[in-house]
Amino acid sequence: MTSSTTSTTVLGKSVQRPDALDKVTGGKHYPVNVTLPGMLHAKLLRSPYPHARITGIDASAAAKLPGVKAVLLPQDVPQRKYCPVYFVPTLAPSMVQDMLIMSDTVRYAGQPVAAVAATTAAIAEQALELIEVDYEELPAVFDADAAMAEGAPQIHEGAENNIAVNPVVAFGDAEAAFEKADHIFEGVYETQRVHTCYMEPRVCVVDSDTGGNLTVHSSMQHLFGLREKLAFVLGMPESKVRVIKPAYIGGGFGGKLDIGYIEPVAALLSLKTGRPVRIEQTRYEDFISTTRNPIRVYLKTGISKDGRFVARYAESTLDCGAHATHGAEVINVHGMFGILLTYPCPDQHWEGKTVYTNNMIGGGYRGYGSPQGAFAVESQIDEICEELGFDPVEFRLKNSYHQGDPHPFNPQAKLDSYRFQDCLTQAAERIGWSSRKAAGSDQGVKKRGIGLGCQPIWVSGCVGFPDIYEHSGAIVKLNRDGTADLSTAAVDLGSGQITTLCMIAAEELGLEADQVRMTYADTDTVPFDAPSHASRVTYSSGNAVKAAAGQARQRLLEVAGGLLEASPDDLEVCEGMVRVKGSPDSQISVVDVVTRAESPFVVMTEEGPQPTNLEEKGTIIGLSSMAPPANPSPATVEFVEVEVDTETGQVKILRVVFAHDLGKLIHPAGAEGQVEGGFQQGMGYALMENLLFDPDSGACLSSDFLDYKMPTAVEMPPKIESIFIESNEPTGPFGAKSLSEPCVTVPAPAIANAIYNAVGVRVRELPITPEKILAGLGKL
Amino acid sequence: MKQLISIEINGEVHELAVAPQDSLLHVLREELGLIGTKKGCDTGGCGCCTVQIDGRAVYSCMTYAMSVQGKPVVTIEGITENGQLDPLQQAFIDAGAVQCGYCTCGTIMAARELLATVPDPDESQIRHAIAGNLCRCTGYQKIVDAIKLAAANSA
Repeated sequence: MTSSTTSTTVLGKSVQRPDALDKVTGGKHYPVNVTLPGMLHAKLLRSPYPHARITGIDASAAAKLPGVKAVLLPQDVPQRKYCPVYFVPTLAPSMVQDMLIMSDTVRYAGQPVAAVAATTAAIAEQALELIEVDYEELPAVFDADAAMAEGAPQIHEGAENNIAVNPVVAFGDAEAAFEKADHIFEGVYETQRVHTCYMEPRVCVVDSDTGGNLTVHSSMQHLFGLREKLAFVLGMPESKVRVIKPAYIGGGFGGKLDIGYIEPVAALLSLKTGRPVRIEQTRYEDFISTTRNPIRVYLKTGISKDGRFVARYAESTLDCGAHATHGAEVINVHGMFGILLTYPCPDQHWEGKTVYTNNMIGGGYRGYGSPQGAFAVESQIDEICEELGFDPVEFRLKNSYHQGDPHPFNPQAKLDSYRFQDCLTQAAERIGWSSRKAAGSDQGVKKRGIGLGCQPIWVSGCVGFPDIYEHSGAIVKLNRDGTADLSTAAVDLGSGQITTLCMIAAEELGLEADQVRMTYADTDTVPFDAPSHASRVTYSSGNAVKAAAGQARQRLLEVAGGLLEASPDDLEVCEGMVRVKGSPDSQISVVDVVTRAESPFVVMTEEGPQPTNLEEKGTIIGLSSMAPPANPSPATVEFVEVEVDTETGQVKILRVVFAHDLGKLIHPAGAEGQVEGGFQQGMGYALMENLLFDPDSGACLSSDFLDYKMPTAVEMPPKIESIFIESNEPTGPFGAKSLSEPCVTVPAPAIANAIYNAVGVRVRELPITPEKILAGLGKL
Repeated sequence: MKQLISIEINGEVHELAVAPQDSLLHVLREELGLIGTKKGCDTGGCGCCTVQIDGRAVYSCMTYAMSVQGKPVVTIEGITENGQLDPLQQAFIDAGAVQCGYCTCGTIMAARELLATVPDPDESQIRHAIAGNLCRCTGYQKIVDAIKLAAANSA
């Protein structure tokens, strides 16, 4: 680790996660465990057809089944079109409002058409079988190109050629610049549909009261987004919806970043019955609820003789399925951060199309369009280097941004902390890049190769993005036992937000990490917040937590200053004591200060009642609600060594070296965990994962973990080495910026490039299965 | 039709009325409130529901409750004795092997069978022992570290 940041006492050391003990002994606090007295269980009836009109529904037999308490049909549901994405205003102009909770038109196989609430889940399921639905089948289309072709079935009214959004971004004059390029490279790079595979299913419990107020428990990534979307689709004021923050959830990865069908349906059933209603999705339902959108990228790049980017042209076609949902924004992030902003190139033109099909709806997933872009850009760079004889590391070094350059996303700002070059050179040295052999030159049946993939520019949240919320808030309250409570709406998905934010608060307050506790929050009690997404929590929530803790600390020093007869500016907090700087004898414990602040105004002493000071009274508390000051870019490089069996096409990952400029390392074990888990997801994307659908019926064919393959402990490499570079981001909390998403983005291109280096086979379509490698070797 | 059965879970005998199709997972979570055993897929694919039956690590979602009569079942709630964590539980904390934690209990139960039968397992034995337990957060590296640590601490 390279360090240039200011010294800290709590940050930078691995601590025991505050949630670990509970999780190893059973994990009581997952939303899946929430039960309430009198709770009903609901199930959704889903369409077997990918495109159909409902001409009639008869649920009378279901309603009569003993134990059934309510049935919900399309005609019972408010017909308010919405966009389910949490992090944008519901009617955001840049998004598409094309969904209904239930509709008389079905657009994908699996779309809910009715729901039943009953005393048990088994009865609800039994009741679904008694509902008779008459469908008028409509022609369906499952391919984005076919959907855009003339005569294709129209999936949504008004979407010409089934195109939901069609962004175009250009810098300079790409057409003219291609004329000046010495070399031009072209390629088509395709990625598949994959699932986040959070382990805890989507689940919710919604309760209502006689005043029509809703209380919502849900496994999701955004309290305030759920409140806003649920209130909108039900036509209720937001203040009547209270969303409880789960202590933690069983994974999200972007897959719980939009309101599902389950929360509105449970809410309507609860309002109908007056009882709490729980809906837990089956794994099949999870698999068809959210996905990383497949994108096909046509990428054309102009290169100068000396190996510099001269011009770039790209077209990206995203299959968003039956509704635009995240696809309207993923396409933009993909175009900008996946392609255009990756390396400086003066003249560029990119066009994106988000296309409706009758496939399942898309969702968010770590990287949010960037993995699809990086696979194209980073693969093609290696193709360029191979063809023109450039070293892939040198080429990227020569073509990269530098610290101090204008920020490519926001040219008013600078890349104040940016050490991409250090990531590249340190990781290259660690993997042994200099001893890399020519492509396919290894002898024997099993051939080894090294490759790399980069995410040169990424985000720390969403400042600067049109229509995207970027707020954070925190409340820090000191307790009379010398500890502090922190509350914030930032949900811990498992990636350690609780740990990181408690450590930041502790550092600011002068307490130990385990003296700060993350406590209860709901939408009624804490400031508005954006979701846990976009690699934003450490930076954005971290800044808010630091501000709230700083305010509490200031108040602590003011009260202590009165007791010590010193100016607050002359005081410091360490080891549970408030001290006069330079006078260690003049001190008072935090416990005494906080206790005094909350003591009765008049205290009884041996001399009789004595008044204290009115000005010192009141809980020592800090509150923040703010937008972060900037959106600094981290930088990420990953090298992978593979072994490819040329007889079977099997790929084994031997080594992984990951280097990342994260500004300041706050929790080392947590940061390594992000890298290691990110590699599992990226490796699955590269080699095996694929959500498959029947091409005729649109039915999901890989709807459980027997058919949807992800890497187990056996396929994973023995070790993933992390190098963290600390560039000290001036706007970050103690110098920190982001980490999470690039961990998932870089493995696929690194693996693809390593496979090429091993066997000389270039695969431009994920996943890189043994069949594709053998075909490339001419053996199939 | 439900039948009355008697099953031993964590050393305690329970008399329960169960339907023939009820899984052990369902009975643990819904009837007995033993919510440490998780449902991740209910189709025998993720391993979150792993418990020990007669010492063997088994997917409780794929096990009929009726079939465990006479076979002692141990769940995550049964491995902490007198407030003392199982060495695996402590090692998972110490090695930083817990992220979202949803797979953790099942993985600990799978590793528990391994350590009972192979006290000093090598890396490959560890990885194969937990190959039926999916984790989406950790990349398994710190889980493998934790199992090694537990083995070392138990030696």
